[in-house]
Amino acid sequence: MSPVPRDRGVLVGMMGLEDDARVDFGRLRAQRRAKVFSGMQRHDLDALMLGGVGDVRYVTGARQLGRAGVLPFAPVAVAVRQTERVHLLSTWDEGVPPEIGHDDLYGLSWNPVNLAAALAAIPGVRESRRVGTDGLTPMFSGLLSRLVTSGELVDAAPVIQAARRIKTPDEITCLDVAAAIAEAALSALEDALAPGITERDLLGVYYARVAGLGAPIPPSESVCFATPSSGPVRFRYLASDRPIKDGELVVLAPGALYAGYEAGLARTRVAGSPATATATTTATKLAARCARSMDTLLSACRPGNTGADLYRAWESAGNRESPVPLAHGLGLGAEPPLIGLGRGGDAPLEEGMVLSVQSWVTEEGAGGCLERETVRIENTGATILTRYGRL
Amino acid sequence: MRKERFQRLQEQLEAHGVDGLVLLGSSSVAYATGAAVPAQEGDHAALFRPVAVVVRGDSAPHLFTLYTDGVPADLPEDHLHGPLFPDLDDGMDLFADALSGHFSATARVGIDDQTRAMLRGLQGFDWVDASAVMGAAKVTKTPDEVACIRNAQLINELAMVDALTTLRPGIRQIDLSAIFLRRIFELGASANGIDPIWQVMAPARELGPWTLHGDLAYPTVTTDRFLREGDVIWVDAGITWQGYASDYGRTWITGADPTPNEKQEAQFRRWRTVVDAALDILEPGVSATQLGKAAIEANDGVRPWIEHFYLAHGVGTDSAEMPLIGTDFGERFDDQLIMQPGMVVVFEPVIWEDGAAGYRSEDIVAVTDTGWVKLSGSTYDPYGVSA
Repeated sequence: MSPVPRDRGVLVGMMGLEDDARVDFGRLRAQRRAKVFSGMQRHDLDALMLGGVGDVRYVTGARQLGRAGVLPFAPVAVAVRQTERVHLLSTWDEGVPPEIGHDDLYGLSWNPVNLAAALAAIPGVRESRRVGTDGLTPMFSGLLSRLVTSGELVDAAPVIQAARRIKTPDEITCLDVAAAIAEAALSALEDALAPGITERDLLGVYYARVAGLGAPIPPSESVCFATPSSGPVRFRYLASDRPIKDGELVVLAPGALYAGYEAGLARTRVAGSPATATATTTATKLAARCARSMDTLLSACRPGNTGADLYRAWESAGNRESPVPLAHGLGLGAEPPLIGLGRGGDAPLEEGMVLSVQSWVTEEGAGGCLERETVRIENTGATILTRYGRL
Repeated sequence: MRKERFQRLQEQLEAHGVDGLVLLGSSSVAYATGAAVPAQEGDHAALFRPVAVVVRGDSAPHLFTLYTDGVPADLPEDHLHGPLFPDLDDGMDLFADALSGHFSATARVGIDDQTRAMLRGLQGFDWVDASAVMGAAKVTKTPDEVACIRNAQLINELAMVDALTTLRPGIRQIDLSAIFLRRIFELGASANGIDPIWQVMAPARELGPWTLHGDLAYPTVTTDRFLREGDVIWVDAGITWQGYASDYGRTWITGADPTPNEKQEAQFRRWRTVVDAALDILEPGVSATQLGKAAIEANDGVRPWIEHFYLAHGVGTDSAEMPLIGTDFGERFDDQLIMQPGMVVVFEPVIWEDGAAGYRSEDIVAVTDTGWVKLSGSTYDPYGVSA
């Protein structure tokens, strides 16, 4: 088929098509790898040892077991500049892309000394002068220096974070697919939302939808919360088993991962119907403020701007400091910059970055309203990848 | 439970001569603080992770978190702080300030994970690996911890009943995931732990994925693969309840009639015999080596577990933690690993008959003062019914 279809919509699906119309994963991996090796050249790194889930996926393209939470650093992937090989901690070849050969795999060990021996046997590692890592532990810094390499252990971020920041067209397609899965989940959540259902049940509905679509590991289980119609309103992250009350404003905030790429969005809906005409008016006003603030934030997402411009946009819409981030990077999961909570004022926004941007506003007596979008920064401004009707 | 755990950490800090802990890994933070966190995957979990700081001699842990609705009610107000974002350079000065308030410049501080931003911005302490302190505290469980594991396991097992009921030719792996994951939240799970595994076992090793060691590949990752008549699947899943992991392992058969044939039933009985041989001698004072030997003897001298795994592992706030029995830590390690009351042990031997696939399940027990008590359920459908 032609290299770039005029209707990109044909790319947004999950089945392989017989004309290879969808994401070309071979090309996607080759481009990521080329960025990594040219970055190693530029920053004079002889090897990378990576443990972060996104970093490992970026450099290897391997499909590895999804798990919740953060594990301490361990060297799961190794890239060697001299040989231009990528090595992976995997005892078998299923889920491993073809450019990583059987010789490039090293096996699972419980004993770190055995793992160190396997690392030391990778051609080019022992004689590396500068080795970039994306983390360490006191144990691994000792083991690597004693048993694996005499090279200096330095930060891999100038190579790997820089490569990840700007997305290729294939990466954007993956993000588009992730966005579509998240939208499907939002529809399922909307359909299920009714007075009496619990957040926990809604989380179950969410999971059934994304798993059924083939994306069973979510970026976050924080996908919905009801906001109280009286008293202080707080952003909540954990699903409760209290039945949602008639007239409550409920945040629906599903995300999804496709081939590791994360997208997400949020909308706020009323469960059932507002109690009174006054409540309707207050909710409408709150939703309007949320939307206005969101538009102001989005208009600040332009190349050349920094995080400080988002802070200013948020204030100019009449808001006080937000208790949640205004924006953070997206790609293979969440990534820097983080803008909000006092961080990221100096972070530059560049063309080709993808951000999750959110507007969270509250009013005692009405509840809270959240809008979240996945946006790509283009030369003229922000393009919104997520699509869903507003309240 | 939180008080008892904190007490254990304090005792181990004392015993190891460590002045405190800085914890960033999810299971360590959960253990030290009891803080609930929404389950998140990979780099999403990392960027927004909470941090725990334990100071020797203190009465409670310090918790730095974004997730205010997951903070235990009994955490003193002056021990609760805003998030630190340890993966970012921006704000690392706040992390440094927080630590300098608790530790002297030369303090010996245990840490479980160091981001590059921390290696740059947190200078001056004598960092040691937190694993010695954490491991020693975590290896035996209090009765409350055991109850949490039992509850997590019950939720996991009940949700699996729904998944097994649905299994028939034409169901895809992800369809089973969808049913299971929905059900665990209806039943009260706090979070899902891993992408549920429904691996189809090829009848012979050489028909399965290529492996470095020539032994079986397990576990491989779920896809939209169709399950078809006769497929033997090894199921593995783990959820958490109040921070504690379950570990469900069973073998299922796909088919219009999933009744095991004679060979399959014999594999199951052999698996049962191997686990029973280990359980027969399990009590405080028994070594990991003795348990391994009993299992191997019951399998006619053949090691009944996969080379990259173990006969058994512990479970707690981690899905696999000490005691690890039969790993590449080696014989001397297993000689010195002695069963103690309060250890929780997940036996997961594998019976393999090359050409006719095999059987794998997981039995979870807690070691008591005199023996053990079973925490996992005792049905193995569709196996064992006729036995």
